[in-house]
Amino acid sequence: MRVLFRRVLAAIPVAFGVATLTFALIHLVPGDPVVAMLGDTAAPADVAGMRHQLGLDHSLVSQYASFLAGIATGDLGESISMHARVSSLVAERFPATLELAAASIVLAILIAFVLGMIAGADPGGAADTGAMGFAILGISFPHLYLGPLLMIVFSLHARWFPLTGRGGISHLILPAATLGTALAAILARMLRQSLINVREADYMRTARGKGLSAMRALVRHGLRNALTPVITILGLQLGALLTGAIIVEMIFSWPGLGRLLMTAISARDYPLVEGCVLTFSITYVIVNMATDIIYGIVDPRIRLE
Amino acid sequence: MSPRIPSTIAQGLLRRFVAGATILLTAALSASGCIQNRHETPAGYIQVDIETSPTSLDPRFATDAISSRLNELTFDALARVDAHGVYAPSLAESIERASATQIVFHLRRDAHFSDGRRVTSRDVKFTYDCVTDPASGSSKRAGFASLRNTVAIDDYTFAMETRQPYAAALEMASLGVVPNGTPLHRSGASPRGSGAFRIVKNARDDRIVMERNEYVANAPDAIRGIVFKVVPDPTVRALELAQGVADLAENNIQPDLLGYLGARPGLAIIKSAGAAYQYIIFNFHDPQLRDIRVRRAIAHAIDRDAIVKSFLRGTARVASGMLAPENWAYIADVTSYAYSPDAARSLLDEAGFPADATGKRALKFVYKTTPEGVRLAELIQATLRRVGIEVTIRTNEWATFYDDIQRGNFDIASMQWVGINDPHHYCLVFDSRMTPPAGLNRGYYSNPEMDRLVEMGEVTLDPEKRTQIYAGVQKLAASDLPYISLWWQDNIAVMTHYIHGFEAYPNGSFASFADLTLTNGSGAISQ
Repeated sequence: MRVLFRRVLAAIPVAFGVATLTFALIHLVPGDPVVAMLGDTAAPADVAGMRHQLGLDHSLVSQYASFLAGIATGDLGESISMHARVSSLVAERFPATLELAAASIVLAILIAFVLGMIAGADPGGAADTGAMGFAILGISFPHLYLGPLLMIVFSLHARWFPLTGRGGISHLILPAATLGTALAAILARMLRQSLINVREADYMRTARGKGLSAMRALVRHGLRNALTPVITILGLQLGALLTGAIIVEMIFSWPGLGRLLMTAISARDYPLVEGCVLTFSITYVIVNMATDIIYGIVDPRIRLE
Repeated sequence: MSPRIPSTIAQGLLRRFVAGATILLTAALSASGCIQNRHETPAGYIQVDIETSPTSLDPRFATDAISSRLNELTFDALARVDAHGVYAPSLAESIERASATQIVFHLRRDAHFSDGRRVTSRDVKFTYDCVTDPASGSSKRAGFASLRNTVAIDDYTFAMETRQPYAAALEMASLGVVPNGTPLHRSGASPRGSGAFRIVKNARDDRIVMERNEYVANAPDAIRGIVFKVVPDPTVRALELAQGVADLAENNIQPDLLGYLGARPGLAIIKSAGAAYQYIIFNFHDPQLRDIRVRRAIAHAIDRDAIVKSFLRGTARVASGMLAPENWAYIADVTSYAYSPDAARSLLDEAGFPADATGKRALKFVYKTTPEGVRLAELIQATLRRVGIEVTIRTNEWATFYDDIQRGNFDIASMQWVGINDPHHYCLVFDSRMTPPAGLNRGYYSNPEMDRLVEMGEVTLDPEKRTQIYAGVQKLAASDLPYISLWWQDNIAVMTHYIHGFEAYPNGSFASFADLTLTNGSGAISQ
């Protein structure tokens, strides 16, 4: 419990750093939200009035202070372009992104376990070559190419899944597969290598010597010990997964936070960009905290340390 | 030595995986209602794929193209532009110019909002008052700067008065009318309108659903509603059409996908003349680009026919100026610049930029563009390199690119004007008083003769005299080259064969969607 508390405390400066960086970056890049709103022929008086209304006529330091004060009180402000509370917009869209990310992780883990174990059980064999070939393909395919390819094969021709949009499980499979394939490939390769390493361990020989079948020894003793590096990679890859979600949401017309962020960036909607990026970052921090906790469950030695 | 793990384990795992995956897939397909053959829209509805969400469904705020096109379907305006750029009565049954500064609109008496209320001049006045009120923060306010006053003379007579005689005053009559007292809807909600449809759902970045306004008469076999689905990826829009999920897409399918779609059974491609104008803009702050010989050399160096034929797959017409041939003020008799690298080289030599031994000249320009414009930028770069001009391409996302253009932070750029109806647009883009932030003269072009002509065009009400003035403007623009005209983009609509009544507008308007009918009376298609 104390460890968890320490982790939560450590996450605060990270969130602060992310908030500061986001604020600095969005204000540094060229582009004016008032021009985006009022058009480039708006009268200077109207532009000045709108700047005042939005608080953009204050100094950057003052805007930054208000921004931090808002975050501290849980108020992310109001979207400049959509005229709604940022927290409501994020709350409306984030479940869709979480759903997509969760489905991708589940799919990636399933595929990775099967491929990794097939490959790790018989390194150099035909199954290993096939599984790792698939993994290399998975890493090599960019989302922008894999998404439409899956659509053409499984939606246009096979008619198994819908092309776009959010709905039931069927709507989720193609975008989750697009987003999760690269992760599956990385995890599969990692698991394979870990399994090859643990095969040499004394406890595996002992397990076989006690009469356990090869598969039982692999699943019961080998897999658990091979998991630690895989979990590390899984936690770290979540950042890439969330970034990839932005592209996948665009391809599959998935109404998630990534598309909201893209719209906000185009409109130079400062509060909305900050709200979206902060949400992504906090999610990343939470997942990494969860990763640390899972370490302890999978490998009690880490917990003791 | 480590214990040997037999390869049969790998095979066993593989078998279990295949079995598990089959079960999972079957479960997913069962949950999805199995094979996706069904049309997602209700019977009598059509699905139209659009590329982006509208920024506002309140006509008092909407300025972007997609918002304006959707609002045309849900709101009536006093006047609407026709295919020739002429404003014709719409909510008004007749329009009269009472004086040089006053226009009187006599309203139709059969117009009703979607809640059954009659549309009166009080609603019209309220709408105009909202837009012109500085407190509203409407992005449309700048377009009404010449409006002095509006008056609801009686229930069905409305008048607008301009500060001075203003020839393009009817452009202000295309504002969608909302009911008197309607609060400002800036957060995505839509007020009631008196157009052919009313909005029943607006899920941002997903879909906008419209159904018929029951108080507006329509043909018995007309469509009952429209689902506008937001599909940002152009390839995916084409796939939705190919699969029969989408029924129609207009001006948002890439030219290189049209061949594929044209070969699909059940799909029709309708191509018509469009008015979207693509051009190259010069920054006149650059002393080299201020030299007319350099601008003319660049115009001669670009093979626009080849660009239209290969890059655009023939989906455009080479442009001679900003106004398309369908516009009432268009003239064809202007200076043109045939593709001639030799002529370009001679002009550059004459301008004092001789080529060195490698063919390069002391001319280096920065070309600003967005990711979508990179391919065209590379074409221009390659074509100018042939005559010794070096072009550096700088690509930024739209907001940064636009900011650079606004600040004059570019040498050359290519942009597009969409929806030019009245030729007074020349005043906004070429008058020397109209440099940002006052207007749209982003290249800081200045020519006293151009100023004289476009300013005269603003206040001349006589149609014949205006035609002559804008003939002069078009000739001067073509010879002085503040812009190099590239092309007018065709209107391309891809639709399923059972949709009838589609009419293309040069400005890309969705106005004819209100009159669409379906062969089988249903939006559903069986596959």
